Amino acid sequence: MQKKIFEAKDIVIKFNLRGKTLTAIRGASIDLYHGETLAIVGESGSGKSVFTKSFIGMLDKNGWVESGSMVMDGVDFSKYKTEKEWLAVRGKKIAMVFQDPMTSLNPVKTVGEQIREVITWHFGVKKAEARKQAVELLRQVGIPEPELRYKQYPHQFSGGMRQRVVIAIAIACRPRILICDEPTTALDVTVQAQILELVKKLQKELDMSVIYITHDLGVVANVADRVAVMYAGQIVEYGLSCEIFKDSRHPYTKALLRSLPQLGVRGQDLHSIKGSPPNLYKQITGDAFAPRNPNAMKIDYLYEPPFFKVSDTHYAKTWLLSEQAADYCRQMEQQEEAEDPIPAPPTDFSAAEKLVQVKGLTVNFKLGRGQFSAVKNVSFDIHRGETLSLVGESGSGKTTIGKAILKICHASGGDILYKGKSIVGRLSSHEMTEFRKNVQMIFQDPMASLNERAKVEYIISEGLYNFRLFENNKDRQEKTARAMRSVGLLPEYVTRFPHEFSGGQRQRIGIARALVIEPEFIVADEPISALDVSIRAQVINLMNRLKRERGLTYLFIAHDLSTVRFISDRIAVMYKGQMVELAEAEELFAHPLHPYTNALLQAAPVPDPDIERNKKVVVYDPSVHDYADDPPIWTEIRPGHFIRANRAELDAYKKHLEK
Amino acid sequence: MDENKNLAPETLPQELFSKAEFHEELLEETGFSNYSYWRSTIRTFFKSNVVKVIVALVLIMLAYTVIYPMVTDRDPYTASLSAKEWNLPSSREHPFGTDGVGRDIWARVWFGTRTSLLLSVAVAVFEVGLGVIIGALWGFYRKLDTVMFAIYNTLTNVPSTIYLVLIAYIMKPSVFTIIIALVATGWIREARWFRSRILALREADYNIASICLKTPARRIISRNVVPHLVSLIIMDAALTIPASIGSEVFLSYIGVGLPADLCTLGNLVNQGRSAFLVYPFQMIFPTLILCFIMVSFYIIGNKFADASDPKNHL
Repeated sequence: MQKKIFEAKDIVIKFNLRGKTLTAIRGASIDLYHGETLAIVGESGSGKSVFTKSFIGMLDKNGWVESGSMVMDGVDFSKYKTEKEWLAVRGKKIAMVFQDPMTSLNPVKTVGEQIREVITWHFGVKKAEARKQAVELLRQVGIPEPELRYKQYPHQFSGGMRQRVVIAIAIACRPRILICDEPTTALDVTVQAQILELVKKLQKELDMSVIYITHDLGVVANVADRVAVMYAGQIVEYGLSCEIFKDSRHPYTKALLRSLPQLGVRGQDLHSIKGSPPNLYKQITGDAFAPRNPNAMKIDYLYEPPFFKVSDTHYAKTWLLSEQAADYCRQMEQQEEAEDPIPAPPTDFSAAEKLVQVKGLTVNFKLGRGQFSAVKNVSFDIHRGETLSLVGESGSGKTTIGKAILKICHASGGDILYKGKSIVGRLSSHEMTEFRKNVQMIFQDPMASLNERAKVEYIISEGLYNFRLFENNKDRQEKTARAMRSVGLLPEYVTRFPHEFSGGQRQRIGIARALVIEPEFIVADEPISALDVSIRAQVINLMNRLKRERGLTYLFIAHDLSTVRFISDRIAVMYKGQMVELAEAEELFAHPLHPYTNALLQAAPVPDPDIERNKKVVVYDPSVHDYADDPPIWTEIRPGHFIRANRAELDAYKKHLEK
Repeated sequence: MDENKNLAPETLPQELFSKAEFHEELLEETGFSNYSYWRSTIRTFFKSNVVKVIVALVLIMLAYTVIYPMVTDRDPYTASLSAKEWNLPSSREHPFGTDGVGRDIWARVWFGTRTSLLLSVAVAVFEVGLGVIIGALWGFYRKLDTVMFAIYNTLTNVPSTIYLVLIAYIMKPSVFTIIIALVATGWIREARWFRSRILALREADYNIASICLKTPARRIISRNVVPHLVSLIIMDAALTIPASIGSEVFLSYIGVGLPADLCTLGNLVNQGRSAFLVYPFQMIFPTLILCFIMVSFYIIGNKFADASDPKNHL
């Protein structure tokens, strides 16, 4: 084993929040070895960010380290009080990269200045010398033309480039530990893969240890040597990456891995973790995960389990590993073997009625004096009863298409037909009512999509009021209660305000609001991307169940191909406002033709360390197409498989398909 | 936790290692949060000691201005014919002294404070009320932009003193005239300010959801938008009060304010000014009260603005 360079032991962190004390970290310990990559996994509220922020003394001002020790080079940081003491640690020994590159850079200073400042501050070198070093750093993090970029402002950089700058600032003082707090969550999948590569490269060059904080198990599989799983302010399991992914022991880790949409089986419910993480204001007794674990033992509710050893490197905090639980474990294993889901064959909807037809849709936005086409000449149909997924990176125009279909955003060209009737342009009041009643939307951000100042009762009955879908007040209340129950919430909760619910619960309230008026067609704009892994499965299962029960049709918008695989009947890939490929879901995964689809598929992280390790990052370069003399056309290359390509490319693709 | 450390694993009864009952319905309780916007706003507001003291003083003063005119037998309008009663310095009998015709300044100050406060509260209510309604419509209907900006530019580019003087001059001097004059000049600024706030809220997802549900604009404004602005409205009203007291003083000073025989802070300061060189206290006492009211309302308004920002809710 390598040398241990950092050790945090029994850390307890408390916060004073609105007059109450909450315990965010309840005795978490972690070791970090020289040169390794450790990933801390957990959902929001598990305390993973707070835990690592305490290593560099950057807790919010209402929080403090109650007890425990953090030792590096024989010095215990946990006793540090003043900013001055911390300055010796921050940046020099431990540096941090934050989630959002937009907020961690100063918008009114050039990027180069910001790096130079850090160098001058810490090393006290001359300006010219620091400048040289800053340019060198920019080169090191893979920014082309660093001399030129040095003089530019953050807004002139793309999201991925900005994150590279943030990394450059973090490594400016040659830290020995780099903490990356969800470094790629705000980025597109293809950019994410590049950033992960970069951190790996820098880690080797600078001989650093890296701590990743993430909720994305795909990222973990890609980067981590060791993994620690956090739940409710405690580390519940830690071990080598392959041990965690292949042989997890804690029920929470197991459930987390099983609930990934990537592992979903068509036609079956995704394994889901019910409920939400515990409230840290309350005293937690026993195993914090027990209330959400259907197979919890009686002891889990009474006593907190100690760490049990699985192997020299793998420990888990669960009573299941106790010798006394051996019988119970055997029972559970037998139970699990009994269930073996068989994937349902994909359903062919092509014979069904065309519910929505999009013909040559173009959407332009004014941009300064010019114009910007968010969507260029896109055509597709959605058949009744199917789920069509639109996949693409941010800025690809996928949300704009959804909004144009909902008539929230105007269409500049082309036509959209709903049940054979055009909805572009003015509709009569009657037609509009009919349309609004049948087409609804589910939003991405459950925090922003509910009116904070209205009770859930009003939010859900809003549609009922608007379309007069109730006879009297009692009828309305019954309908609201039914909607609440159908999304798995207690009807009594209608008297509460949205802020009293967790993210997943809020998302389900949003779904109830859309469903109470019984629409036929739903545009779901990234409904799961803002949710925690354990909550995602709940929402996906709910949407699938509603589809089965009510024959709903979905337009599902997502940025990650792998998560939509098992819920979609067909998938369309968007790139810069154009649709590049459209095919039946399994067909697209089996025979991706367009280079961009390939890049997306490659970039999507897979929660399996063996696959992730040997992956090559493919960067899509639009200049591979030679469209100067031979413009591309939207062609059906196989029945149901459409692609945007020119004649030469089509021939190549056809040959590829024959092989 | 400690209890469990003392337990040797062998001593645990085997019975505990069996399946526990699973209560699915209890699960959803866990996501519950105890955050309440108004409770947090008020707690943050009263955290500062300055606010506690000022709010207490303002409340005492308000109570006094209401109670004093009801219980006192002293009439602030009775002049004395005896010259002995004129221009007296402060004493037990007359805490703030008397003015040039022997009227008790203490009584006049409290009657004046009452008039001025009533006037400024009326101005605040009408000005902010009108501003919210028009600002909401302005922010919500883009078509109004052309018309409203024309009005805004006209009203704000001409100094408001000119309107104030004109309106006060045309109409008979009375409390009502002053309210109209002040509201007529102030509403447009409030409307513009609320418009910008509403523009920021307009594109929120929950409003788009309401549009998808075909909620009429009237209800979107009243249920989705305005409730988010309540704290801003309160803060704005609190800041309008000192501003309109100040305007009233200014109008009285240039002679187009309320009738000179009416007790208002403006008139008192103005009358005290004429005797200032000889009897400075006649102006200083009303001015002190005036300053106190203005400063405390400004502080309350600003502190409330800070407290109503959820970022400060710790």
